[in-house]
Amino acid sequence: MSRTAPAASGPTASIVVPCYNARATLAETLDSLTRQSLADLEIIVVDDGATDDSVEIAGAMAARDPRIRLVRQANRGLAGARNSGIHAARGRYIGFCDADDLWAPGKLAAHVAHLEADPLVGLSFSGSVLMDASGRLLRRSQQPRLSGISAAHVFKRNPVGNGSAAVMRRAALEALAWRPAQERERDWIFDETFRQSEDIECWLRLALTTDWQIEGIPGLLTRYRITPGGLSAATGRQYASWQRMVEKLTPLDPAFFARHLPAARAYQLRYLARRAVSDQQGPESRRLMRSALATSLRPLAEEPLKTLTTGAAALLIDHPLGQRLHRAATRPA
Amino acid sequence: MSILPSFPMPAPGSPRPRILHLVDDTTPGGVMRMLEFLATDPALARQAGHMIMPVPRGRVGRLSLQADLVVSHLSVNWRALPRLIALRARHPGLKIVHVEHSYTEGFTALNVPSRARFHTLLRTAYALFDRVVAVSEGQGTWLRDRGLVPGARLTVIRSVVDLTRFAALPGPQGRPRVLGAFGRLDRQKGFDTMITAFRTLPDPGAELHIFGEGSERAALEALAAEDLRVTFHGHVEDPVAAMAGVDAVLMPSRWEAYGIAALEARVAGRPLIATGIDGLRDHAGGAEVRFVPPGAVAALREAIEALGPTGLGPEARRKLAVGAVAETREGWAALIASLELRPVG
Repeated sequence: MSRTAPAASGPTASIVVPCYNARATLAETLDSLTRQSLADLEIIVVDDGATDDSVEIAGAMAARDPRIRLVRQANRGLAGARNSGIHAARGRYIGFCDADDLWAPGKLAAHVAHLEADPLVGLSFSGSVLMDASGRLLRRSQQPRLSGISAAHVFKRNPVGNGSAAVMRRAALEALAWRPAQERERDWIFDETFRQSEDIECWLRLALTTDWQIEGIPGLLTRYRITPGGLSAATGRQYASWQRMVEKLTPLDPAFFARHLPAARAYQLRYLARRAVSDQQGPESRRLMRSALATSLRPLAEEPLKTLTTGAAALLIDHPLGQRLHRAATRPA
Repeated sequence: MSILPSFPMPAPGSPRPRILHLVDDTTPGGVMRMLEFLATDPALARQAGHMIMPVPRGRVGRLSLQADLVVSHLSVNWRALPRLIALRARHPGLKIVHVEHSYTEGFTALNVPSRARFHTLLRTAYALFDRVVAVSEGQGTWLRDRGLVPGARLTVIRSVVDLTRFAALPGPQGRPRVLGAFGRLDRQKGFDTMITAFRTLPDPGAELHIFGEGSERAALEALAAEDLRVTFHGHVEDPVAAMAGVDAVLMPSRWEAYGIAALEARVAGRPLIATGIDGLRDHAGGAEVRFVPPGAVAALREAIEALGPTGLGPEARRKLAVGAVAETREGWAALIASLELRPVG
């Protein structure tokens, strides 16, 4: 394994891997990171107080590949684990990969090339392919808009998509850092009072408090794992945390939120309706879709096909035909 | 006996260069107070004659200036760009320096939908000047890293004002309960966030005094309506007297090129809570400064509740005041010296 970074300076990139009880997937995730074509990297596995043997798995892999480092903390949640990882990171660029997702071999190299080519970009992301719990690729992907991304676009559509898609410039992360009054150890970048919506809160704060550009590159370079079950139970909590994100950030720019909140709320409700469809929750998905359309027709105007498909799926998902259609549309590739 | 040994002075008897400072916004505030310092500082006057010249915006392109150096404190925007180009074209041999008092990263984040177009404006405008002065390291880093000003033409000189009377104020006693905020009542200053945060404080003995005037006054008064602990004083002629009445200072700005009030608060021995943005980051010190994110009500409230008697002591205050004035003075003197002005008489 080549180690090109001199000891005094950091590697080109650090990849932060927050890990909580991920024994089933961690080894595969770390394999996908150690096989990156850009080899001058460090991988920081943050054990967020795991109770399974994922720490031993990470330790064994770190013994074989010195680019892997293990940072341990009492459970602070995903945001806290990412903050600890950022604190330990020495790279010029810092990427994030959750312990159940995978990176394509050229992902890091592509984002680093993007960030080096355009000094105005602070966050580089790419699309994702979805996979199921067993790692089978699904015929579904996240292919967001890649350029011309404004704060309004981040708020409504979160083009970054998931927690394993972004590679950031260190200076952009530093611009987001603050030290809460009760924190003694290190700065926060992600807000640790959020247990959900911590990604979108951070990206929207980046868009509203810095002038770093958020920009994507072509390709589906992340494999993002969808785990079934318990989704609908989480729908209410997810919506509540999204609402809390809105309340937290509104004082920053009240006029912005007054203007874009209805459309953003409708998109958020449509997203939750799609999750309810995936979880076969017909009444819940229909309720969410009705709320979405009552809030704003912007999703219908801006993305008619996706909005109508979601509406049709919510209507049909309780019928055998609808379930067959849904299975066909979401079957493994 | 020279107070300025470190840069070349005109030989005795030879004429001093004449420096014209053009300013188009003469409303009372940081820019005018900083200009007053440049025009009246005796040490700088030994090197060159500094004169302030207010110009109506529309006339900038029609000026015929007689000076050895022109310093623009003018606003830069698309409407002003042709006037700035005309100013440059009418004075081809004249050295012109621009001081950027307004634009920052935080400004761009909240006010500029098309960042590429805005960057083009700034690059085009700044290319007209021999040098561009950033008024803080925070702003300078932004101008350099975004490629808006080439590093070789960028100089960072923090602004300063006469700090003597701030340094002489008696320090506050005990835990701070009387909070002060200084600045225009404008969205930029984030006073709305501050009032919202202050209103959630249970302490009936806490006070918030707001010194300044502006277009947001009615909205801010409405926001503070039922809280009798909040007082609006309007514009004050003497900021030192206002500072004397408060224990701690809040600067919750959404953007700030430098934020001279932060320096005044520290020199006055008042603890400071400021947003960790733009030029305000330049005021990082010890325990007397606490940073919070912009627009963050909860974080601001927590920082207010955690306020202690952490203002600087008498010796540190005096050193800070003397050091800040010396740094600005030397920055300007070195910039002027590096331009190698040759006064014609």
